[in-house]
Amino acid sequence: MTHKQDKASMLNQGVFIFVYLAILTVLEFLVAASFNSTAVLIAVAFVKGALVVYYYMHVYKLNADHEGDHDSYEYKSGTNRLGLWLFLISDAFVFGGLLVMRMNLLGLTRPNLNQLLGLGVTSVLLISSFFMNRGETMIANGDRKGFLNNTLITFLLGLGFLIGVVFVEWRLAAHEGLTPSSGPAGAAFYMMTGMHAFHVLTGLVFLAIVWVNGRRGLYDDQHYPVEAAAVYWHFVDVVWIVFYPALYLVGTAIV
Amino acid sequence: MKRKYTVGSGLLFLLIAGGVGYLIGLGLDALIMKNVRWTAPVPSAFSLLFAFTAFFFGVYGYRGITRGLVYQVVWTLIGGFIVTGIRVMMGLSVFGGFFFTEPAWVFGALVGAVAFLFGVGVMDDWVKWARGIDTPEFHEDEPGWEKFLGVSLDHKVIGIQYTVTALFLISVGGTFALIFRTELAASGLQFLNVGMNLFGQNGPQLYNTLMSLHGMIMIVSILLGIAGIINYAVPLLVGAHDMAFPRMNAFAYWVSVPAAVLLLMSLVLGGFDTGWTGYPPLSVKAPVGQQMFFLGVFIAGWSSILGALNVIATVVRMRARGMTAMRMPILVWASVATSIIALTATQLIGLSFQLVMFQRLFGMGFFDPAKGGNPVLFQHLFWFYSHPAVYVFVLPGLGVISELLPVFVRKPLFGYRWVAMSSLGIALVGFLVWAHHMFTSGMNEYLRVPFMYSTLLVAVPTGVKFFSWVATIWGGKIETPTPMLFVLGAIVVFLMGGLSGPPNATVSVDLHLHDTYFIVGHFHDTIFGGFVFPFFAAIYYWFPKATGRRMNEFWGKVHFWLMTPSFLILTFGMMRVGLLGMRRRIADYDPAQGFDTTHLILTIAAFAIALSVLIFLINFFHSIKHGEKAQGNVWNSRSPEWQVSSPMPAHNYETPFEVVGEPYDYGLPGSKYIDFVPAQGGKH
Repeated sequence: MTHKQDKASMLNQGVFIFVYLAILTVLEFLVAASFNSTAVLIAVAFVKGALVVYYYMHVYKLNADHEGDHDSYEYKSGTNRLGLWLFLISDAFVFGGLLVMRMNLLGLTRPNLNQLLGLGVTSVLLISSFFMNRGETMIANGDRKGFLNNTLITFLLGLGFLIGVVFVEWRLAAHEGLTPSSGPAGAAFYMMTGMHAFHVLTGLVFLAIVWVNGRRGLYDDQHYPVEAAAVYWHFVDVVWIVFYPALYLVGTAIV
Repeated sequence: MKRKYTVGSGLLFLLIAGGVGYLIGLGLDALIMKNVRWTAPVPSAFSLLFAFTAFFFGVYGYRGITRGLVYQVVWTLIGGFIVTGIRVMMGLSVFGGFFFTEPAWVFGALVGAVAFLFGVGVMDDWVKWARGIDTPEFHEDEPGWEKFLGVSLDHKVIGIQYTVTALFLISVGGTFALIFRTELAASGLQFLNVGMNLFGQNGPQLYNTLMSLHGMIMIVSILLGIAGIINYAVPLLVGAHDMAFPRMNAFAYWVSVPAAVLLLMSLVLGGFDTGWTGYPPLSVKAPVGQQMFFLGVFIAGWSSILGALNVIATVVRMRARGMTAMRMPILVWASVATSIIALTATQLIGLSFQLVMFQRLFGMGFFDPAKGGNPVLFQHLFWFYSHPAVYVFVLPGLGVISELLPVFVRKPLFGYRWVAMSSLGIALVGFLVWAHHMFTSGMNEYLRVPFMYSTLLVAVPTGVKFFSWVATIWGGKIETPTPMLFVLGAIVVFLMGGLSGPPNATVSVDLHLHDTYFIVGHFHDTIFGGFVFPFFAAIYYWFPKATGRRMNEFWGKVHFWLMTPSFLILTFGMMRVGLLGMRRRIADYDPAQGFDTTHLILTIAAFAIALSVLIFLINFFHSIKHGEKAQGNVWNSRSPEWQVSSPMPAHNYETPFEVVGEPYDYGLPGSKYIDFVPAQGGKH
């Protein structure tokens, strides 16, 4: 790779990006709570998504050399990377379709949800992306122990998010009368969070696999599988960056 | 010692297990329902599953596809019983009209489909990788025909698996068409009437099920058919040793098998009467067969998506040295264009069907106006895929026409760049036309005119292709072996489809034509011209490459000259009765409308087409062993795959080639397309 950067500057970059993401998340929460401008919320979500896609998912790596030894690990990893991104583009159409469904059925209204819990799970997922990026940077620089620790933290945070949504948020919502069959808000809420939670679950499976194999030193030299799991994990984060405002912030709550 | 398996033992097993399955089903039905019904769904379902599985056991033994089917059957039952058990604990109703309740069937079918993939063995390497065990990059295939019934990573084997599966499903879907076409031969209900009862459905319901399944089974067979052409040809054309992701390639093929089983299961589990579009609210009320249909399409969609992903990655990353974008064969361009649509838009049909499934299972009111839902939303999501889908079907076929035409007229392809770009143009414009299916649906009126114009715009890149074909033929030395006949037939038939399209796209006309047989005639012309004729052309053309033998030329010509006139009579007749007021998707019509005779002619034409396809199938399977030997450059083509002897070895070219000229410079003295150069340190 021509984009080889040293470990310290990559880690610093990860911290800066996380700070931006945190500020923007607080910003959108405050915007929604005060003057609730849909345009601002869309703009913030777009910027957050772009930051993750560029700095955490390293989309520029797709621009790699198309020449060279077709049988080398680098070239094959480049092909795998292209395949993974094509899959993510395809998957994005599912979430895009869900977003269209939500806009069509609810317009500028939204389900009445627990705002603090929403901000909480969103923060947990963003922090997990931060640690995932650290883990990937460390294994890319041969630091197996750092990679394992950070991946484990990512896994636990991801698990926390999943529990927060499925076992806390869903129960609270159902308690408030928002059930899958209660109306368009319930249908959209459970469908969108459910589809996202399914992706979080598969992401956790991938994280578990790279953690277990990483412990055996499988990725000390060739770490593309870690990169793949990380990119997938960040993608799930990007989806939530869009779904969080779509479900919790945009428009007025249906009471 | 190796056991000798034959088709004969397969058929014997099929009969025995089919009978045993029927009796088991009958017993269960009698036990649960307290009622013996000879034509009931449950015995039929068991009979179907057992017979399929046993056939492959007799032919092939307990491995590969047989093991997959056994896993699917067993795990469908296990999944069903798990949900049934949960329902017992929750105090809900335990058994439904089709043995299991609907949620039990859906969960069981999903678990069964996943279990098939583990059973057939296509997940083995991935499971090993996840456990940190390395595997060789390729596995040795069994010699002979047996490799086609198990997991192979060779793109040529997978291409043939796709093609044969497509031919099987075309035969099934065609048989369904013949059944309801026969019913339509005269007004009044002859045999599909209320007195008849099969699979728990009376005659008119069965008509609806067969008509709906004809649509979807044909669509799946087309997707598998184009995947067959693309899988076989594209890596050879770009000079790759295989697809970019051989395991995912195998996965994409094998996932279509449980999907096909589920589609067939929908026939015997009460069927469904929505047509292939599955619009709610009707699809919310249909029997459990509707769910099998949704699930089958959902799973088949993954075959299409992952196959498309593989094609794009292969073309981007695995091309031979010197093959710049503007030196790629047109079929490769067309495959990429089709893959862009299949990769992205397919998700939307999956999502729309999934939402209806959830509406049925959990009462989520996406499309239920009583719960604040919107039925028109389904149509938008559905057609966002299902219109571009027709470009997925035809683009590879149009690519085959452009690929083969120069070979048989011995002239360069006219306007290479324009033809290459027209495929992409059709694909991209195709994303903007979906609502032309909804002019009468009650969507917002301001959407009509933009969608009318965007639809008419498709005629521009399509016209580019036609001008190129005509200009290529112009002044050429035309040879007409069977593949060329089908290419010419494709051009004529697709022209008919193209000319009957714009009237439907025009709002004022469409308001009258919508849901009539005119539409049916139109899309059969486009699909036959854009897929079926080129598909046959491609099979006749690449058959010697795959087998080292060629198909019988005489019977090939009989196939063509029987099919083409019959087909044109069929579709022109469809358009005629459509203009006279024949509605789509209905089992009967009023004799006072005065087209009984036309319908009779249509039915005769349909049987003539079936006969021609039967001739083709016999020719196909007979020529594999007994065809005339043809190991050289049969068609005198410039394409790289014909410069080496047939059949192609595993991993393709022993010496890599380099592209040094234009692909279609036929008849230009001294022009060269490729040079074989020994590999230098693995550089391409």
